[in-house]
Amino acid sequence: MNKIKIGASLAACAVLAAGLTACGGDSESSGGTTSTAAYNAANTSVLNPSDKQGGELRFAMSSDWDSPDPGDTYYAFSWNFSRYYARTLVTFKNAPGAEGQQLVPDLAEDLGKASNNNKTWTYKLREGVKFSDGSEITAQDVKYAVERSNFTDELQGGPKYFAQYLVDNAGGYKGPYKDKAPAGLKSIKTPDKYTIVFNLNTPFAEFDYLAYMPQTAPVPRAKDNGLNYKKNIVSSGPYQIDSYDVGKSMKLSRNPHWDAATDPVRKALPDTISVALNQEQDDIDNKLMSGALDMDLAAGGVGPAAQPKVLGGTQKANSDAASGSALTYMTIDGRVAPFDNIACRRAVQYAIDKVSVQTSLGGPISGGDIASTVLPPTVVGHEEFNKYPSAGNAGDLAKAKEQLTECGKPNGFATKLTYRADRPKEVAAAESIQQSLGKAGIKVDLKGYPSGDYFTKYAGSPAFLKDNGVGMAMMKWAADWPSGFGFLQQILDGRTIKPTGNTNLSSTDLPKINKLFDRSTKEGDADARSKIYAQIDNLSMENADVVPLTYSVQLLYRPANLTNVVVSEFLGGQYDYVNLGLK
Amino acid sequence: MGAVVMLVIVSMVTFGIFFQLPKLAGQTTDQLAASYVGKAPTAEAIADVKERLGLDDPLAVQYGRFVKGVFTGQDFSNGPSVEHCAAPCLGYSFRTNEPVLPTLLDRAPVTLSLAVGASLIWLVAGVSIGILSALRRGTVFDRMAMATALAGVSLPVYFTGLVSMAVFVYTFRLWPNGVAYSDFTENPGLWAWNLVLPWVTLAFLYAATYARLTRSQMLETLGEDYIRTARAKGLPERTVIGKHALRASLTPIVTIFGLDLGLLLGGAVLTEQTFSLPGLGSLSIHSILSGDLPMVMGVVLLATVFIVFASLIVDILYAVVDPRVRLG
Amino acid sequence: MTAPIEVSKGEAEAHPEDVLKGVGTQAIQGRSLGRIAWLRLKRDRAALGGAVVIALLILLAAFGPFFLQDPNAYHQDLIDPTMQRPKDGFLHSGISWEHWFGVEPTTGRDMLSRIVLGARISLIVAFLATLVSVTIGTVLGVVAGYFGGWVDTVISRAMDVFLAFPLLLFAIALVGVVPDDMLGLRGNGLRVGVLVFVIGFFSWPYIGRIVRGQTLSLREREFVDASRSLGAGHGHVLFKELLPNLLAPIIVYTTLLIPTNILFEAALSFLGVGVIPPMPSWGGMLSLAVPTYQNTPFFMIIPGLAIFVTVMAFNLLGDGLRDALDPRAR
Repeated sequence: MNKIKIGASLAACAVLAAGLTACGGDSESSGGTTSTAAYNAANTSVLNPSDKQGGELRFAMSSDWDSPDPGDTYYAFSWNFSRYYARTLVTFKNAPGAEGQQLVPDLAEDLGKASNNNKTWTYKLREGVKFSDGSEITAQDVKYAVERSNFTDELQGGPKYFAQYLVDNAGGYKGPYKDKAPAGLKSIKTPDKYTIVFNLNTPFAEFDYLAYMPQTAPVPRAKDNGLNYKKNIVSSGPYQIDSYDVGKSMKLSRNPHWDAATDPVRKALPDTISVALNQEQDDIDNKLMSGALDMDLAAGGVGPAAQPKVLGGTQKANSDAASGSALTYMTIDGRVAPFDNIACRRAVQYAIDKVSVQTSLGGPISGGDIASTVLPPTVVGHEEFNKYPSAGNAGDLAKAKEQLTECGKPNGFATKLTYRADRPKEVAAAESIQQSLGKAGIKVDLKGYPSGDYFTKYAGSPAFLKDNGVGMAMMKWAADWPSGFGFLQQILDGRTIKPTGNTNLSSTDLPKINKLFDRSTKEGDADARSKIYAQIDNLSMENADVVPLTYSVQLLYRPANLTNVVVSEFLGGQYDYVNLGLK
Repeated sequence: MGAVVMLVIVSMVTFGIFFQLPKLAGQTTDQLAASYVGKAPTAEAIADVKERLGLDDPLAVQYGRFVKGVFTGQDFSNGPSVEHCAAPCLGYSFRTNEPVLPTLLDRAPVTLSLAVGASLIWLVAGVSIGILSALRRGTVFDRMAMATALAGVSLPVYFTGLVSMAVFVYTFRLWPNGVAYSDFTENPGLWAWNLVLPWVTLAFLYAATYARLTRSQMLETLGEDYIRTARAKGLPERTVIGKHALRASLTPIVTIFGLDLGLLLGGAVLTEQTFSLPGLGSLSIHSILSGDLPMVMGVVLLATVFIVFASLIVDILYAVVDPRVRLG
Repeated sequence: MTAPIEVSKGEAEAHPEDVLKGVGTQAIQGRSLGRIAWLRLKRDRAALGGAVVIALLILLAAFGPFFLQDPNAYHQDLIDPTMQRPKDGFLHSGISWEHWFGVEPTTGRDMLSRIVLGARISLIVAFLATLVSVTIGTVLGVVAGYFGGWVDTVISRAMDVFLAFPLLLFAIALVGVVPDDMLGLRGNGLRVGVLVFVIGFFSWPYIGRIVRGQTLSLREREFVDASRSLGAGHGHVLFKELLPNLLAPIIVYTTLLIPTNILFEAALSFLGVGVIPPMPSWGGMLSLAVPTYQNTPFFMIIPGLAIFVTVMAFNLLGDGLRDALDPRAR
């Protein structure tokens, strides 16, 4: 068996159900449904199941997209929303809890078939699926979408996993804008109209997770105008984009060429969908509660002003404290003295008052649950353990002092902590850490930087941290896909350390951990992989260079008139948008 | 002519500050480029972006390219094809890849709505209160008005803005759906209604200044010899005040009004931030904080154009209002 | 900007500083002016009130932090973590016998001691920045007015350019690119230095124009001519003859510039380019209050009032001084 385990069992389901929505997550047998609005109801069941069509579904958010172009976007909400107009090879299941973390085929008939020791992945497309312009979607369109999103200079917004894992052309492939040769990237083969084959440079057991990314949504080459494609996206999903006014609004209506028979995932209930951009968060929250709006697109949870209103009154039944798959944490750089001594790192682990940090981040509801592991509970591979326990998680000063003595700094030491100065909650958390470490004699200088430059110039530049003696950095991380590999590799694998744009902020480079990552990519069995991830987590906590603070939770609000509402853990605690309808 | 020189100097200084200062502060062009790459800045991506944005060229070359774009337009590659940005082209945003000029023109009506509405209110309120105060010097009205005016100039606009939101929007719920900007062309009524709070908040600050200024000007003029002469000639008080005193007192007001309006049109940063109005002011702050250099250039230049233009108008108006002035 | 408008001699250019018109010309009248002014000021209760408030503020800012509680100490036992606001007190302010001005939401830090410490930052930045701009403005203004010709043209043009720039934007950009260590300063010392520089450096033209205008009118007076014909050098005329006669408008304008600079500093902090946390500043406290002011209005009102009271006091004193130094004041 060389495939994601849960995926395999599901594949059968998809084939049997061909054309029906049985595997889409709305079947009574899976996850459960309910029609009673209650606090956290959508966390455990699909709320208000319905097939009623019609109406306008009104979204709003307080910012704008990075880009709605499926090949140029990296925000989780965008990956969620783009499924209205962009069908990917596979996608995640519309279901609550762990079931919602499973992948199901979308544009492809089945999940990927691995061969050649997980180095070759083959997908078979459904036949007769059409773009909004009426032309048929072929494997070529998928290949082209992957090429443009991963190999061109212009589209820099999205991740570059395909470029990392696919065998490159001899001499380096420069992308379809520069390299007009019809063969394109030779490691993606399209032997016939409906088959696409990916040849990888290394075994990669979790390739299906890449196939879920919006970058595999087909793009017709003739209609691609690069950076401007975001304004005339050709839809492959049930809705087409009528207008996108950058920074202001988007309007979608039904795609006449979409055929429900080819789409087991989507119900496509509303007739039209609208999005208002750059709205005030307070206004969005108030409108949600008054019924003037249906959904906050960004899914970051209600604002601080609305939180007491939601939790303190009758509105509470219309909200969910959704577990995200993100971790707020602080890294300790073992290259910066005195953190080269593990005891000094452990002193920090013991000294931090995590309750105070949690309160600063927004309290148990919007700040999140107190964390003791790197992997959040909603990510595959998570195991519960706590290597640095303290009474009530408020920090253990006695143990911290013990470690400080062992480190040779019985009276403490001074160090620096970086954070993003334009994120009020991160600033508050940094101040709280400064306060609690101060009690142990560790004097912390705060260094705030703009978030736009945080990874390119400051915390994400290992040289900067070392040269300036910055021992600690604030960080928040969410996985691109909910597996231990997707979560851990970019922040703990020593070979991912980059001179700029680094996300392994602790500059962790342990041979033991690196080897485990290699083993996991070759491991075909999902349970075995899951064990490896837990092992990495353990090693990392043993090494004490990551201080987990909170597992994110966001307070989501759902107006009572919405149907098929369910929190998807796959995307880190957002409502799954594709099946939303109106009562 | 002076205006053109002004624009050139301002554009050069702006360019220098925003493009060169980061380098002086020790940042490499790689780091600069990396901030525009996105979340996966590989070495190749950085090199590509650096080339695409021309960040490695000397400052003079970059400035030259900018100026050339303004006069002859510029070509930009969006990937598969090349797009022409017609003159006057202010370039493309480093962040959103949107052309700068249309973005500015899109934001300008918001700032224009805010500035024009508020300035009408403060001009009428400020000047009439100032005149009344001067004419009734020492009365309770005068004292009250001047105390309020003094309070007005001492209050930060973002504080009055927040307080008025707390009271009128969130306590009395006069705007149950918030005060988001609404286009004049779509719904003039809603446009005006949603702008009432920003207008009044901004106007309060300026009206206070204008009332104080008008009062002191008026008092000074009333003490001039020619007013005394006019009164001694037996002219009715109405004529003395209306025809002579008012005219002389208002000339400096006109000057300041023009300059204030010019400055505001470039973006009422604090007011726009407080009320989340999507105008030029909030665009400029956002662009600066996100390092979107072409957008910053655009906003600053537009703001300067407004200021220069306003002072030109003021000069002309000045000649009209005050017959003693000859344009020199 | 544009060519200055020739109105009539001595009136210089009509601009915001017209508020002060007449101050300088009158100040030339003799030494007794100081006495007259003091007598006048003593009768002006509003101005005296302002002066008292300022004196108290300075004392409080200088010595208050030694007597008050630790402004950075957390009291999170007073906070309801879920609701993100103090548990008790009027309107969830956390006001109590221990915390007269309440506590911050989420951290529980004492507002009174933070406001007092914030006063220190505000006053230091405002005073120093005013010093910078008054120094630059006076020197360049006198030089421009006295020498005239191309010197005047260059300096006047420079002032126009400065006045045409969107200051706030430049200030933000400048503060943003300053490295961590510079000129031997670091941390909050450097931040305060940068704020002083930015505010002071950008507001000198306002005072520069006034001084230039006054100098222009003084230049033609007999005593300057006399001094020059006796063979006095430029330096002597500038600093011994002209400057003393410019003192009155400079003092008045300085008093009125301080509140402007307090507001400028607060605006910069409000927009996020102030001192480094946990050091409090009034503008920074206000911007922290923005997301939660619907739930905890006191958190916003208190720093707002602090700014208001301080700026008002300086304005009252400034108005009083102007009236006192202007013999025509009624």
